[in-house]
Amino acid sequence: MSILAIHPGAYYHIETLESPRYAHHFDVLVRPEDLASVELSEHAVVFIPCRTPADRLAPHAQQLRAYLDQGGTIVATGETSWEIFLPGITFTPQLTNWWWWLTPDADFGVRIASPDHPLFRRLGQNDLTWHLHGWFDPPAGAEVLAVNGEGKPILYVDEVTTSGRMIITSLDPCFHHGSHFMPATTRFLDGFLPWMREELDGAQVR
Amino acid sequence: MSILMIQSHYQEPFADTAPLFADIIASGLMKVVREKELTDEHFAAARGLITTTHLDQIGLQRFASAITAFLDRGGRWIYHGHILRPILPELGVYQPIPNPKRADFDQTRLFEHPIFAGIDQKKLETNRGVAGFYGRGHNPPPAGAIVINALGPTQIPVDWIWARPEGGELLCHAGNEFWGCGDDPEVKKLLARRAAAWLSGELN
Repeated sequence: MSILAIHPGAYYHIETLESPRYAHHFDVLVRPEDLASVELSEHAVVFIPCRTPADRLAPHAQQLRAYLDQGGTIVATGETSWEIFLPGITFTPQLTNWWWWLTPDADFGVRIASPDHPLFRRLGQNDLTWHLHGWFDPPAGAEVLAVNGEGKPILYVDEVTTSGRMIITSLDPCFHHGSHFMPATTRFLDGFLPWMREELDGAQVR
Repeated sequence: MSILMIQSHYQEPFADTAPLFADIIASGLMKVVREKELTDEHFAAARGLITTTHLDQIGLQRFASAITAFLDRGGRWIYHGHILRPILPELGVYQPIPNPKRADFDQTRLFEHPIFAGIDQKKLETNRGVAGFYGRGHNPPPAGAIVINALGPTQIPVDWIWARPEGGELLCHAGNEFWGCGDDPEVKKLLARRAAAWLSGELN
């Protein structure tokens, strides 16, 4: 199969999706405005990068839902209003603490909640830790992969809301990696994108 | 409308842009237009233009002719962010500083452009003592551009002003909106006020 990525066109999207470091993880790049002309079922994964303007995806919410209903997988990272274009999302924003790491020996509190999940053969706790913009209340039956310091989900897999799979995180690695800022975000993508390619785009369907 | 601000992001708060300009927007001098709603007429009606770090650089290409015409008429444009899809032939692609160290983020004022004149550039160098937010590289200045602010010992041109030979001026900042940097709210307000005055032709 293949991985289709939505390409909203900001510099951090261009850097993340097109530069050699990660370009091989994306087979097709599609502008939000061009989605209607694409047959999503031809792709194993639809990747929606952080800070995708939600109002540019809203007109395609039904198409995304139909793709999920026929068993598709959508991966969406942070700082977008997922609830506008995806089903079953309940998000609570939080005031971002950009400065926690200035305190010596500070523990931001992010924890891996499902250490046996294959993703965490590639990612450690420090690779998920930079800052947070909020948390989710996933539906019952969703698998929570990581939580914030209060135990609230920040990364989860939802295979109950639709017949497909949604992997949702409030982390925003594409923005910071694409800005050449925050090494943890690059480490996150170094582990996450190969996992997406090998585990989600491979033969390991649900 | 005199100043067109293109809003590229969907939700607030991604930038300090709109609140800092609330009075100017309320006065009618500045109009904020969602990027996906833009038309050629918006550029035709503007004498100043602000684009933010979240600009859809691919989508903006459809307005290349309108932007060229805007500059030909003497329009002034403040550009923020990393240029990866140059919309004018004279512009180049953003160059990050490789493996930057703290000293690479030291800032130096090289030219007292009226937007920055008299403002201590060191006030924009750090946020809560942490450097690197203002800029981490540069958009290559076209021939004839004047560097306003530079980074590090090799004087990386993070900010420059270019008087385009065919008309118009481009003030380019290779980072997030410069009026959002630093910790001093009065400096932010001053930069925003001056930016609006420069874009409308009142500050020269």
